[in-house]
Amino acid sequence: MNLTTSIATAYSPPFRIVVKYFVAAIFSFVLLNFMLLINYQDINGHHFQPKILSITHIATLGFITMTIFGAMFQLVPVVLEVKLFSALLAELQFWIYLLGITGLVFKFWYFSSSLSFTLPAIFLNLAIFIFAFNIIASMTKVKIWNITGIYLASAIFWLVITAIAGLLLAINLDHPYIKIDHLQYLKLHANVAFIGWVTMVVMGVSFKLIPMFTLSHGYKLELAKWALGLINFGLLGINWIMHYPDTEFYILIFGTAIFIGLILYLIQIYIMFKKRIRKKLDIGLKFSAIALVMLGFSTLLGFSFLFFEYEYKPNLTLIYGFMIIVAYISTLIVGQMYKIVPFLIWYHKYSSKVGIENVPMLKDMFNENLAEYNLFLMLAGIITSVFAFLSQINLLLLSGFALLFLSSIIFSFNMYKIFRS
Amino acid sequence: MILKEITKEQIIDILRTVIDPEIGINIVDLGLVYDVSISEQSIDITMTLTTPGCPMHGSITDWVQRIVSLTIPDRTVNVNLVWEPMWTPDKMSDEAKKQLGI
Repeated sequence: MNLTTSIATAYSPPFRIVVKYFVAAIFSFVLLNFMLLINYQDINGHHFQPKILSITHIATLGFITMTIFGAMFQLVPVVLEVKLFSALLAELQFWIYLLGITGLVFKFWYFSSSLSFTLPAIFLNLAIFIFAFNIIASMTKVKIWNITGIYLASAIFWLVITAIAGLLLAINLDHPYIKIDHLQYLKLHANVAFIGWVTMVVMGVSFKLIPMFTLSHGYKLELAKWALGLINFGLLGINWIMHYPDTEFYILIFGTAIFIGLILYLIQIYIMFKKRIRKKLDIGLKFSAIALVMLGFSTLLGFSFLFFEYEYKPNLTLIYGFMIIVAYISTLIVGQMYKIVPFLIWYHKYSSKVGIENVPMLKDMFNENLAEYNLFLMLAGIITSVFAFLSQINLLLLSGFALLFLSSIIFSFNMYKIFRS
Repeated sequence: MILKEITKEQIIDILRTVIDPEIGINIVDLGLVYDVSISEQSIDITMTLTTPGCPMHGSITDWVQRIVSLTIPDRTVNVNLVWEPMWTPDKMSDEAKKQLGI
């Protein structure tokens, strides 16, 4: 189906729940960019630093995962044709999750404060388990599984693993007990989060939304199936092998499987874009296409890490993290928000008026010129920041973060305009 | 408007007001409407969507039904969603193709 109405049907969860998650995510996005800007001097050197960890968790939990939760409450029921198991649990989860994020971000920022790491991590785990239970309970009613559903089910599994790994790391920070290097576990936590959770969701959802938005037609999804198998195989392997010493060879095998999986996904998406009928890319799809190119760069960089000691190269892990969080995921989310949020509001306000009175087109619900500036500033900010990390010129980093902050303000203004339309 | 003599063309024209809010093209020009049959009691509209397995039946059929029922209140309007024959881009009108830059 291609009429955008397809993503909201009788299966849709209450509008206010999805909106709550999206508003919190947009707020986190602006806050994240603001914190980068005012702390640019601290974003340097090794990644295991209080402020970097704090900002990273605003990004991953407050912005990225918050957006995905909202999007999944909306998409899972309609894509898999089931009702959400419980809207009440989705509501309850939001507040527990918010409490957990606030606590964890605060504790990372004030590393030596008396608050424990474990307590906010327990709140976050509780919220994530509620989410996983809610979605899995909904999925048990699915009659016909499609590739998107299988990707989303995998992603939820990896989300739970990420949360448990995060909790174990939090306990370890309060009461050290992990025998091997804390950073090894951190690497596992981050890889599972970005590849298993976020990227699996991105992949699964893109097979549904990109054809819908571009009217892509006449392609097979074979590569998507291979990508699913390879990435799950690679992640399971890394989770298993990480607990043993001297495993470089196995890491290489599993890492390569993930790398090939991601490349196959990118080829699949390229084919879908090539087969599109709507040739002109709108603003949301321009963001998305750029984000997927950034995923390509991040994948190549991540693959190269299998072959040399990258941890001690100045700023290289920071560049990798920045590429994944800002260049790839944030750009993609901002682009998809320009598609999904107007539709959500449109469906809520105007769907019942179709045929009765004139209803607006989705693209008329925000200022498209401003959105173009949003894209330009974000891209300029990303490129400037990466060069600043490489050259270690602080002033350049300040400029990069200033561009990103400005771009986030434009984005939030456009989102406000959509909500008010 | 209440139509006394209803023709297929009139129904098609009514359906042209159902516009995809994102693409900005109506369902007739998109080639989604396969058939319209009119009897004394009912109007039956057979249509598809561009991708099989689409979960949107609810919304789109509601819109079509509402819009036709509002215009012709004295007939029962039935909307049948079918997946055969499958929609292909060549089912779009020249106008729609032009709008999409094909």
